[in-house]
Amino acid sequence: MAIMVPAFVFLTLFVYFPIVKGVVISFQNYTLYDMTNIHWIGLDNFRAIMTDINFGFLQIIINTVIWILVSLLFQFLLGFILALLMKEPFRGRGIYSALVFYPWALSGFAIGLIWAWMFNGQFGIINDVLLRLGLISNNVGFLSDPRYAMVSVIVANIWYGVPFFAIMLLAALQSVPAELMEAAKIDGAGPVRRLFSITIPYIKPTIVSTTLLRTMWIMNFPDIIYAMTGGGPSNSTNILATQMINKILQFYDYGQGAAFGVVIMLILFAYAIIYLRISATKEDATI
Amino acid sequence: MKLLLKIGKALLLGVFLILALGPLYWVIVTSLKGSQEIYAFPIRYLPESLNLENYEYLFNISNFGMYFRNSILISLIAATGALFISMFSGYALSRFREQKLKMTLLLAMYFTQIIPTYMLMSPLFTSFAKIGMTDSLLGLTMVYIAMMIAFSTIMAKSFFDRIPVALEEAAMTDGCTRTQTLFKVVIPLTLPGLAAIFSFAFVNIWNELFLAVMLLSSDHNMTVPVALNSFISKAGVSWGVLSAGIVVALLPTMIVFAFAQKYIIMGLTEGAVKG
Repeated sequence: MAIMVPAFVFLTLFVYFPIVKGVVISFQNYTLYDMTNIHWIGLDNFRAIMTDINFGFLQIIINTVIWILVSLLFQFLLGFILALLMKEPFRGRGIYSALVFYPWALSGFAIGLIWAWMFNGQFGIINDVLLRLGLISNNVGFLSDPRYAMVSVIVANIWYGVPFFAIMLLAALQSVPAELMEAAKIDGAGPVRRLFSITIPYIKPTIVSTTLLRTMWIMNFPDIIYAMTGGGPSNSTNILATQMINKILQFYDYGQGAAFGVVIMLILFAYAIIYLRISATKEDATI
Repeated sequence: MKLLLKIGKALLLGVFLILALGPLYWVIVTSLKGSQEIYAFPIRYLPESLNLENYEYLFNISNFGMYFRNSILISLIAATGALFISMFSGYALSRFREQKLKMTLLLAMYFTQIIPTYMLMSPLFTSFAKIGMTDSLLGLTMVYIAMMIAFSTIMAKSFFDRIPVALEEAAMTDGCTRTQTLFKVVIPLTLPGLAAIFSFAFVNIWNELFLAVMLLSSDHNMTVPVALNSFISKAGVSWGVLSAGIVVALLPTMIVFAFAQKYIIMGLTEGAVKG
């Protein structure tokens, strides 16, 4: 019992207490410009962020949903394809996996910077490749044009997330009993049939849990957007997480930043409850 | 048919490989180009010659060597600290008898896992400001230890769970104390798992940006991500220098990943929460 004390001292001082303090700040007028005048203002911060004309709240919510869903869909699909390709052993698979999985360990911020350079409107390699292939006739301002900015940050995020899904799904795929596959093969099931009738049902628990956990994780992953666009141009790539950070680092408005924090936490708690429900029913089914 | 399938598969694997390595290749190439070459048309896919001026700028004019040292120190100390603390808490949680208390403590750990770190930026900053602990590498190190404790504990617990209690009981009847049992029997058996926890913590701390940006202000305290962040806003820092900085920033994590990939993946697939 006593040996748990250090862990909880650290957690209390640097995690639990700051969370409570964050909730408190969200009901206060708390900006660095006005440090001598910190006082309670009720729900004013929440009202302010929801009626902000320059950073439309509805737009931010829609952006967040698009950011999550599109990233997740492609991360999963490409990760699943990669895992299927890597399932059977081949020469050099160990080295291959190190080379395709490495993005997973890199910093999201550094990845954002790399992709910002590749998507650069003047000197970016992506513009150059598309021009050479004849797919575009003029340079596209991927990150400066509100029409393309979201697609661009999502592409970077997909690149980042594929290894994670591939790692998790590959581990699950390798747990599918070989006898099951052999039996299906003897019964005359083709590869596609085997995939949908055996493999996918068998690894469904992994698919469900990784996808649900990843949803939450992507929602709370501002690093790439922060590095590539900072939420712009004109709010087009701003998600809840990046707007919270902008409120703190750019506008020095800790009150409104904290209000975003509370909104994010409420969503997280609601989501966690749904997640626990789903995984609970999943366990009931297997018992 | 079979051959065709094999070729198709190899081709697809090749495409994935190129897509995975492309951005890395490009940032390395950019970092090796001179300032004129970077902004020249047509874009050159191979550098004309190995030009190290960006790296020279990085280490001679900007203080990147110092930022690098700060980052290495913080990451090593905080990852070791987190590992040491969670070794005990993970072991305790694994061997707890009272189920109710155990579940509560575990839930308290899981709870912190759903709180993103950027949520703690301003509360930590304002508290630290009050006690004069802002702009301190020590302060940031403590925060990082706390940040990694929950995840490391949960992972450590899952590794200890797999070691039969009977083994410890045997050691204890042979006259080992509880602590001796832990260090001589249990920990040696979980070394790969502990290596995974350490590498995971190291990589996460090395990469952390937002808390560091918030809590550090003076130049000599900056970590590598903070330095890269300051480059973006600094006029006159070219994409070449930035690319060189990114390459240097990526190196340690890639080295750790190369050595510990097997263990990290093992830890990740064994009931980990954060990716």
